[in-house]
This record gives sequence, structure tokens and C-alpha cells, in this order.
Amino acid sequence: MKLIDALWKDAPLATRREITPKLGFLLTALLALVWLIPFLWMGVATLRPASDGINLMAELMPSLKPTLDNIRDAWEIGDFPRYFLNTTIICTGILLVQFVTITLAGFAFARLDFAGKTLIFYLFLMQLMLVPVLLIVPNLRIVAQFGLYDTLAGVMMPFFASAFGTFLMRQAFEAIPTELEDAALIDGASLFQRIRHIYVPLSLPSFSAFAIISVTSHWNDFLWPLMVINSPDKRPLTVGLSVFTATAEGTQAWGTIAAGTLMVIAPLLITFLIFQKRFISSFVTSGIK
Amino acid sequence: MLFTRRLMLGLAMAGSMAGALAVPAMAEGPTEIDLFFPVPVDGKLARDMGTLIKEFNETHPAVKATAVYTGSYDDTLIKTRASIKAGKPPAAVIMSANFLLDMQIENELTNLDPLIAADGTTKDQFLGQFFPALQGNAVINRSVYGVPFHNSTPLLYINADKAKEAGLDPNNPPQTWAELTDWAKKLTKREGDKVTQWGIAIPCAYDYCGWMMETLTMTNGGRYYNEEFGGEVYYDTPSMLGALTWWNDLVYKHKVHAPGATPGPAVSTSFISGNAAMMMLSTGSLTYVRDNAKFAYKVAFIPRNVRNAVPIGGASLIVPAGLEADKQKAAWTLIKWMTSPEKSAWWSRATGYFAPNMAAYKTPEMVDFLNKNPDAKTAVEQLDVAKPWFATYKTVPVRKNLEDEVMLVLNGKKQPKEALAAAQKAADETLKPYNAETSLKLP
Repeated sequence: MKLIDALWKDAPLATRREITPKLGFLLTALLALVWLIPFLWMGVATLRPASDGINLMAELMPSLKPTLDNIRDAWEIGDFPRYFLNTTIICTGILLVQFVTITLAGFAFARLDFAGKTLIFYLFLMQLMLVPVLLIVPNLRIVAQFGLYDTLAGVMMPFFASAFGTFLMRQAFEAIPTELEDAALIDGASLFQRIRHIYVPLSLPSFSAFAIISVTSHWNDFLWPLMVINSPDKRPLTVGLSVFTATAEGTQAWGTIAAGTLMVIAPLLITFLIFQKRFISSFVTSGIK
Repeated sequence: MLFTRRLMLGLAMAGSMAGALAVPAMAEGPTEIDLFFPVPVDGKLARDMGTLIKEFNETHPAVKATAVYTGSYDDTLIKTRASIKAGKPPAAVIMSANFLLDMQIENELTNLDPLIAADGTTKDQFLGQFFPALQGNAVINRSVYGVPFHNSTPLLYINADKAKEAGLDPNNPPQTWAELTDWAKKLTKREGDKVTQWGIAIPCAYDYCGWMMETLTMTNGGRYYNEEFGGEVYYDTPSMLGALTWWNDLVYKHKVHAPGATPGPAVSTSFISGNAAMMMLSTGSLTYVRDNAKFAYKVAFIPRNVRNAVPIGGASLIVPAGLEADKQKAAWTLIKWMTSPEKSAWWSRATGYFAPNMAAYKTPEMVDFLNKNPDAKTAVEQLDVAKPWFATYKTVPVRKNLEDEVMLVLNGKKQPKEALAAAQKAADETLKPYNAETSLKLP
């Protein structure tokens, strides 16, 4: 209750007296609770001893004798430190290259004039309509031609350009008043200096919004890395985890699965909790107040 | 001191000489090959597979095999196809046995006949090592395209303690659908409207659902698909209608089977936990049940309505098309080693799948194992009535055409008759391109 009061104090004065925002707030709180249940279950299942048997597996009530066995089992089954490293390399590598490509492409679509600009932009957006599974074979063929089959670079390559990111940056740059750029132009700034000192700093919220989306989607990607990677030591987390979760016959050790899943999502979850405020504000504010 | 130094020098010299002599032979180094394998049973098997391949590499210095885990059976097909198209085919794949025909139609498989001939064995001698029921999925147009590696049939698992409790005799399991329905009714416990124990659980998720439909249809006298030709399936038929109607009745008329489509792992979980007193599931789950059941259980043949019959399941080893000759040879060495009686028997004991190689059951370890675990014999005995697994052009989409409709039925959203008519229509559409090239290509 204290927490709700504290949160409520952040609301603007005018809305504190109305009934509708209160209802909305309650609904949001309820939704948040529903969203939390799987996480709660994962935590409970991770600490549940195997002796509780399978009947209690679906219970949300924590076991009275919590154990770390499941975490140890999961840690031993997979080479998790290496998987973590691979996933981190993939996500950061993709993001760094994406920052460069979406900044330049976004700027071109927002501020430069060239023949067929609109058509090219729509072609770019059409990428968003494609189901990723359709691209597996052609992408894999190109990756193999570049000699990057079974390499981490091969996993990253198809994502170096991002239609969504380009669109996002174009919108962000368009919102920046041209007067700012004109001022820099009078001071004799080159094109790259103008991008570097005016457009990029003013669009940071859009960059961080894109970073979140990019990292979470590639962190969780399973099918594409499964296609490219053969060597066990190059597996990312998702593929490493699925070795003991994807079974067709037989059944599953839920405690171990919960522990493994928890380990996989923990870094993302912790990052989100730390930067939560910034994340949310980056989606709602634009560069200019 | 000096003496030892001299000795050391001498040894070193000898060593380097031997090394120098060995160099020409070893200049190539071992042939490196990849084996794609899905994990159809349990995470522990990924480690068992690692053990198996390690042993192979130690005993075959000329080949260096790497086991590459590739997800589910369906994922393994996607990855194999993608890597063939990208020009990077693996040397061997443990492939779901019913995908072979589709791959052969698409020219993605290596015909194994020349490799068998090069060993100086005839095709009949080679195939003769395996149970006859398994040959249907390995041989296409009289050529061998796959080598059975681990196979299964569906079984009826019974919680013997609960059966006794309900006044039933677990040593005399139900043999017909009528008896099974009666058992399931007696084994269902209710408190008011709430069911506390289900009589029977049958899995229905992609892959499993189609296999169970084939099982029920076959025990109802049906065929599911045309064994001789990849362009026809028989969904809208009396035999399948009877099968689906009975399944639907277990759920909605007798209320002895939980509503909805339940995935395989959930079925075995509810059987182990005592939430379901009987289940139909692959023999591949037998080891899991043996290790985890805290009660006496029995396994039996799948009950019949018209006749006893079951489809085989499991996987075969295949060699993709487009490999260099040396890799092909190395793959063949690996395949022969993996399907030998000893290895077959070892893998069977680790998983619960039966060993396709008949000689595996003559090995002392296996004889001993079967004496200790007579339940492992049931699946092998059931092979007498086993038939090939459905295999058509585009097996997976054709299978999903049926599975989607069956799921709707089990979820109470459709009636069997209209569901099967819709499944037939969708499957005919999926098979159309193949028929246009074959059966409907008229002079």
C-alpha cells in the first residue's frame, strides 16, 4: 500500500482527484501482477527440491526446504559461462554495427534528397512484413559464401542493417528543427560533424529505445543461431538451454528447466530493473521538449 | 646421468624417425565430419550422444566426428535442408524416419546402395540385420536411403496400483477399444464435477498428434496414407472418422480424458504424478517412466477396434546429397558403427527406444537387461504388427493439416466429421504440386 501511495504521489495534481485514472492505475497494477506470475513460478520452481515430486511442480507456494540443486544441475549440463559470452558477443556486435548503419540510413531518409527516396524507403519498410523463417535459406547461403558458416560473425551478419531502426531514426531526426543544423552549417560544420554533434545527441532516447529492442530480440533468438552454428563451443544461450528443454518424447525436469531459464533471462531482467525509468521515458519523450 | 641423456636422445631420435615415417600417411589428418542429432527424449541423452561419439573418435583415428545438437525432429529437418542449400551439408543426420521420402523426392539424400555394394554385401544381407517392420521407411523405390538407428512404437502404459484399486487386473490389460473405454471409466475419479484422476491421457502436439492419429486409425483397420505413393493421404475415411470420434468421445462423452490437446511431456508428467491412470505414449519414454514412477506400472499393446497394428516411430541415419567422397566414406563408417549390435543395444538401454538391429538382442548385456526389465520386451513383441510411419511429399505440412483439425476437435471447437473433411481438403491442396508432376501428368 505504501508503494502505491508513493507511486500515486508522482501523478499530476489534477488527476489525483478524478476516478478514471485511479481505475486505470488499478488495471495496470492487475496486469502487472498477471505478468509477474510466470516469473514468480520460475523462482519457486528453481528452488524446489526434486523430492517434492512432480505433483507440486505447478504450485506457486514456495517449498519449505529450498535448494540450489537445480541451479547446480543446469550449470553443469551446459557450458553456461561460454554461452553467456557468445550471446553477449552476438548482441553487442549486432548493436554496434546497427548504430552506425541506422544513423546514416536514418539521416539519409530524413534529410537528404535523392532520386527514388520514397520508393527505397518503402522497400526498406517492406522488410518488416517478412517472416524471418522465410529468409533462413537465402541468408544461410550468403553467410556460407562469405565463409562465415559456423561463426559468430555469421550469426550477426543478417542483422547489421535494421529496417525498424532506420525507420525509428528517420522519425527522430525529422523531429529535430532544421534551424539547429543551419546554425552548425554557418559555423562551418561538415556533414558528419552535424550528425555527430547535433542529430545523435538529440536522439539519444531513440537510440536507447532501439538498443533495448535489438538486444532483447537477439538475446532470445533461437532458430537462426541454431541454423548457423555447429560447434558446441559457439552456441549462444538459447541453443544451449534448449538441449535440455526441447524434448518430444519422455519428459522434462521442470526444476532444471526453470533454473536454466532463470539464468538465461537474469542479465536482461537485472538490466531492465536498473534502467527501468530511463527505458520507459525513452519511449514516451521525443528529443525536443 | 649421461647414460639417461643418451637414452633420452636415442628415444627422441627414434620418436622423430617414427614421426617422419608416419607423416606421409597422416598428412591428410583425420577426415572431419559433422553428425546432426535431435534430442527426442531427454537432455541427458545429449551427454550420452557425446559419450558415444567420443568412443567412436578414439577407436577410429582416421575420422574426427562432431555431434551437433539440432533441436527437435522438425528443427533438424529445417537445419539439414538449409545447410544442404547453403552448400555445407553435414556428413550424417539422425533424421525422423518419416522424412526420408520427402527428402528423397527433393533429391536431398545420398542413395546408399553403392556404399553397401562397395562393402561386398548385398542389399538383402544389409537390410536383413534390421526388423522387417523398419524397412518400409528406409527403402524407397527398392534403394536404401536410411539406416534405422533408434525406433519406437506407441504403447499403452498402465498404473498397476490404481488398476488394482479399481478392481481391475493389471496382468490382463485391455485389448480392445471397448475394454479400454471401460477401464478408463473405472479409473476416472470425480469429486462432484471436478475430476481428480483421469482414466487415460493421449498426447496431441505437433509431431506426436499425427503419430497418435495414425496409431488409432491403424487399429481401426485404416491406412492413413498410401504406402506405395507419396501423393495421397486418407483423412476423410470411415477408419479415421471412427478413430477421431472415439478419441473425441473419451473427452466429451465419457469424460475420462482431459479436454484440450496435451503435449507429450505433459502426458508423461501427469501419468508419473498419478493424475492420469493410463497413457498412450512412445516406448522412447520407457526409461523415464522406469526411473521416475513411484508405483508398479505395466506396459501393453495398443488396444484394437478392428485389428492390432501400430506405426513405427523414431529415426534413421541418413547421408545428405552433395558430399565429397571422403566425407561420404567417413560418414558410412560412422553409421555402420552406430548401428552395430553392441552400440544399438547400448543406446537402446540408455533411451528406452528399441534397437533396430535384431542381433542387438543376442548380446549378453541385452539378454541380461531384458531379464531384469521384462517391460522392455513389449515394444519388440509389438513389432510383429508394426507398419511403416506415414511418409508423403511434404510430410510435415501434410501432417499439420490433420493435426490442426484434431486439436480443434479436442478443444471442443469442431466435430470429427467436418474436421476430417477440412483436413483432407487442406492436405490435397498441399499435395497438389506433386500429383501434378506424377499421377496427374498425363500423356
